[in-house]
Amino acid sequence: MISRRDFLKRTSAAIAAAGAIQPLLGWATEDSGVIPGKEGMIVRSFRFLDLEMPPEYANLFITPVPHFFVRDHMHEPSTLDAAEWRLAIGGEVEKPMTLSLADLAKLEPHTVTNTLECAGNGRAFHTPHVPGVQWQRGAVGTARFSGPRLRDLLERAGVKPAGKHVMFHGLDEVPGKVPPFIRSIPLDKATDADTLIALQMNGAALTKHHGFPARALVPGWVGAASCKWLAEVKVLDKEFEGNFMNPGYRMPNQPIKPGEAVRPEETHPVTALNVKSLIASPSDGASLESRSVHIQGAAWAGETDIARVEISTDDGATWQSAQLGKEHAHYAWRLWSHTWKAPKAGTYTILSRATDTQGRTQPATAVWNPSGYLYNAIDQVKIHVAA
Amino acid sequence: MSQRSRLVLAVLVLTVLAMTCVPLLRAQSPELPPGPMQGKVTTACTECHESRIILQQRLSKAAWTKEVDKMIKWGAVVDAADRDGFIEYLSTNFPTDKPPYEAGKTSAEKRKK
Repeated sequence: MISRRDFLKRTSAAIAAAGAIQPLLGWATEDSGVIPGKEGMIVRSFRFLDLEMPPEYANLFITPVPHFFVRDHMHEPSTLDAAEWRLAIGGEVEKPMTLSLADLAKLEPHTVTNTLECAGNGRAFHTPHVPGVQWQRGAVGTARFSGPRLRDLLERAGVKPAGKHVMFHGLDEVPGKVPPFIRSIPLDKATDADTLIALQMNGAALTKHHGFPARALVPGWVGAASCKWLAEVKVLDKEFEGNFMNPGYRMPNQPIKPGEAVRPEETHPVTALNVKSLIASPSDGASLESRSVHIQGAAWAGETDIARVEISTDDGATWQSAQLGKEHAHYAWRLWSHTWKAPKAGTYTILSRATDTQGRTQPATAVWNPSGYLYNAIDQVKIHVAA
Repeated sequence: MSQRSRLVLAVLVLTVLAMTCVPLLRAQSPELPPGPMQGKVTTACTECHESRIILQQRLSKAAWTKEVDKMIKWGAVVDAADRDGFIEYLSTNFPTDKPPYEAGKTSAEKRKK
């Protein structure tokens, strides 16, 4: 539990360091392959910055910030002065407000341990292929996010009866005529006790790639809901109308065949994450000396809890229950492990399958959709056992 | 240290720096494949995003057509006479059956002493 004094101290330190942070807010160093603070990440793109976590890190309950995936839709803010930065709260409210970072830091902080996953994680595995960042298995991570509750701010501002949705607008810089990255969430989710204006990640001020100085944290939902470099919170009388709400980030209401047209009114926005598991080790393609194989990883289910994780080493003919880890938080992934003795030397495929407390189980084949969202087929790695 | 020695030292330091930095600078942002539209596609597309975004796609001609038209709407500067050439170049070089793009990893940061 974070005390208000500690929170204020750490956030104040971030404001004081703003002068030092500013030079870091330049472009990703596309030409050198170095992204300060992000080492050994799978590069989907340097510009816009899209970095994937190597799956091996899913053996940790809390993902260290240097290994936490990054999804930028636009250019990061080229300059950002924390002392000058303000958050505007307006729209369908009685008292519009403008808050500084110091104002936010004085509010009661709350911490939520949340698994954040990009809606397009696993897009590369859809058949036929769909356009977009070709994420494979690691556009996901778990962190402790801290900051004031959004609902405390909305209560102060006084949401009018007409208010139905809450829109987030960040400071990303938009190239060309690209529509700005603006999205909204329903008022119910915005006023949930766990929806935050996060100022910290894993106990330190947000880094620039994760939305310094403030981001929305919409727990259990796709990462796109948790707007980075937040500058404006606006209460609307309906869902925001813009590219990243429609046609972006929508799923067909019913599964469709590839190539089949889908009418906009037969789609809905992607919100909560699917039930899913990820094998952290052994790595895909690993050669192992011992026939005793320790299998471990993580499983998550958005707003619901993981009930069980099962492992198969015979192409899904039989399944063995994995042991769930002790660390547990409502919106966070659950670590799991299982030890399996390979009967003889050879090549094997290890499958992992999660089921949540609502009875949802990972399918053998994920539901195809035109933008490749919410891929959640059973995870698998191929290994070779030598001895 | 004499002025000449200082000069020699400075040249030496700059040479070593250049030798260590240049390969790093050259290493990233891979080129798009050769072809009649290579230059125009590079200019139009990498104005906003780097080449990896293109290199990792595996799409049908119909899907490439949608992407090119979307990007033109979003500000990509493509001469109307080049639109079909863009689609042909992209769908020929990045079709659905091409093996996946092998992504690299971010490099280690040089430690401050």
